[in-house]
Amino acid sequence: MRVVIAEDLALLRDGLMRLLRDNGFDVVAAVEDGDALVRKVLLEEPDIAIVDVRLPPTFRDEGLRAALEARSRRPATAILIVSQYVEHAYADELLADGRGGVGYLLKDRIMDVDEFVDAVRRVAAGGTALDPEVVSQLFTNRRSGPLDRLSPRELEVLALMAEGRSNTAIADALVITVGAVEKHVASILQKLDLPPSESDHRRVLAALEYLKA
Amino acid sequence: MGVVFRPIAERRTYRELLFLLSGAPLAAAWFGLLLAGWLAVGLLSVTPLVVPALVAFRWATWLAAEAEATIARSLLGVDARVPRPPRGARGYWGRIRAGLSDPTFWAQQLYLMLRTTLGLAIAVGLAAFTAASGYLVVLPAAYRFGSQDVFGVHVHSLPVALAFVPVGLLGLLAAVWLVRGMAAIWSRLVPMLAEPFAATAPRTEMQALLRRALPAHAIFYGGLNVLLVVIWAATTRGYFWPEWTLMSLALPLAVHAWTVFVDSGDFRRIARTRALAIDLGAASTLFLFLVAVWAVTRRGYFWPMWPGLGLAVVVGLHALSTMTRRIDVLTTTRAGAVDAAESELRRIERDLHDGAQARLVALGMSIGMAEQKLESDPHAARQLLAEARAGAGDALRELRDLARGIHPPILADRGLEAALAALVARVPLAVELRIDLAERLPDAVESAAYFVAAEALANASKHAGASRVDIRAVLMGDAVVVTVMDDGRGGANPDGAGLRGLRARVEALDGTFRVDSPPGGPTIVEAVMPCAS
Repeated sequence: MRVVIAEDLALLRDGLMRLLRDNGFDVVAAVEDGDALVRKVLLEEPDIAIVDVRLPPTFRDEGLRAALEARSRRPATAILIVSQYVEHAYADELLADGRGGVGYLLKDRIMDVDEFVDAVRRVAAGGTALDPEVVSQLFTNRRSGPLDRLSPRELEVLALMAEGRSNTAIADALVITVGAVEKHVASILQKLDLPPSESDHRRVLAALEYLKA
Repeated sequence: MGVVFRPIAERRTYRELLFLLSGAPLAAAWFGLLLAGWLAVGLLSVTPLVVPALVAFRWATWLAAEAEATIARSLLGVDARVPRPPRGARGYWGRIRAGLSDPTFWAQQLYLMLRTTLGLAIAVGLAAFTAASGYLVVLPAAYRFGSQDVFGVHVHSLPVALAFVPVGLLGLLAAVWLVRGMAAIWSRLVPMLAEPFAATAPRTEMQALLRRALPAHAIFYGGLNVLLVVIWAATTRGYFWPEWTLMSLALPLAVHAWTVFVDSGDFRRIARTRALAIDLGAASTLFLFLVAVWAVTRRGYFWPMWPGLGLAVVVGLHALSTMTRRIDVLTTTRAGAVDAAESELRRIERDLHDGAQARLVALGMSIGMAEQKLESDPHAARQLLAEARAGAGDALRELRDLARGIHPPILADRGLEAALAALVARVPLAVELRIDLAERLPDAVESAAYFVAAEALANASKHAGASRVDIRAVLMGDAVVVTVMDDGRGGANPDGAGLRGLRARVEALDGTFRVDSPPGGPTIVEAVMPCAS
């Protein structure tokens, strides 16, 4: 799998490169700023670009903008944004085009290598990976409503669904069987009046749409 | 065409006429009330009796306002609910302060004063105009009783008298429309009795009110003077007496316009303070007025020089005191800002020392131990490494919170509105966010505005037990006004560390910071900061 990395801090760039190579990824380019990212994406045609939000020269949300531009010029590119902080406003911008193949994670998550690698694969394959922080921001400000009808277990499942996990991954995370997860998911969709969806990404969008409303 | 005549048949017109005419008798009454009230307060001001005098004056003003509101309700159809003067002030100074600082009291006095000046002028002018027009209509019957001169024409026969009847009828029609117009303008003044300059943001509300009232004031000035000139033209025609209303009413209009102009921004940057700018404008206007009086009277000796010198001295003293006060303010706010920055740095240092640094030390120790045990006890080594990873996560989380507390990244990235929206998403409260800013604020103002909202929001959820919070950030002239209001239990201590730090921060930007938090709530925190660069 071909990967382009955009990260301005050499320490993190090299670490990330090593980590990905160790796990069998083909890192075809590692760049330091947004313009270079767009150029490399068009040149190397990677499966996924892993991009830091904050890049030179302004050190604001340069990376996010560059990634969105690269994606609009080469729509097949999956993008995974990594950052020291998460804001759900940025997640909204990433998800705005309604297509899969986007991810937004705290850099902290890289420490759990297996899960991070899994997230990279999932996003590259057209899925979604949203940081639990983003999802919990959406949960914090919910007023009472249909969510009250969900059992605590179902709330956990809904949060993991919104993060973009598959039923198998949810089963692993909660240490229950896939069958039990499927039952919870069906019950959630029914209680919240959400449409059952064929792809995991559609499911994420439906869950987020619901949480934001 | 019918529209022009319609008001003649409407009862409303005559109710409004009655209202405008009531200005004459009421003017006398209110003039007496205000004069007596201020005389009593003034004469007794050196004795303890000033308190009952002030309280009585306040209640008398309230009664008068109530009477005016009743008249306005029945004759103009404008509903103004006049609030009772609040009770509960304690002590000698407390009562005096409560009386003198009550905006409703002042607004009611202003209304009564308008009634005694403009109201009287309108009543007399309108009565004279209507009577003159009516007289022209009955001229065919009246001309026999003595010789008549109208518009310089000697009326001596019936045909000549009849010729004036249409003029009179036209005058009456004009009077009807004047009544409608002036009643409409006066209707806008009536709410002054009830909700003078709303309690939340007195200065900005007052500025908005003044700005809105300026066109009405100008129309009023123009209309009244046209009316008087018409009366002059229709009657004596001799000495041009309307020049006096033209000049004297121009005085308040000029001061009003000047105030609005000052508040609109550009000038304040030069004069630095609103009060001084208004003083300067008022003094120049007054001087010009006196020069005009001199010009239309005998001329000769230029006596306005003396009051002009006096005014110059007053403005000069005002400027001097403003400057010294400004130096004082700058000295204190700079000291406050330095203190606040110093204690903020100390807090950050402490947080780093006790938090992230300690965690990194523990992390290093775990990894070192894991290294030792890698060969001998791989199982324990794995456990130590897992602990190390968890510790690194905690350190990151702590550093992230610390960084957000110093300057939230999204504020720099996307500006105040996005940053506040993100902040609001993190608290489990019902928060209404109303941000109305055309463009990005200067960085320092933007982050001060953000932290005012953040601190007030944190207080509302942590200490006040609030369930609803309103956050507002709007531009008023060249200043940004940030208001946070919650429905919690109030009683916030404005000298607590958090609010004191905010005050220092806002004042260092030449802004004003206000906390209003009576026991039982609600709490209102307001910061006004100039954002001209």
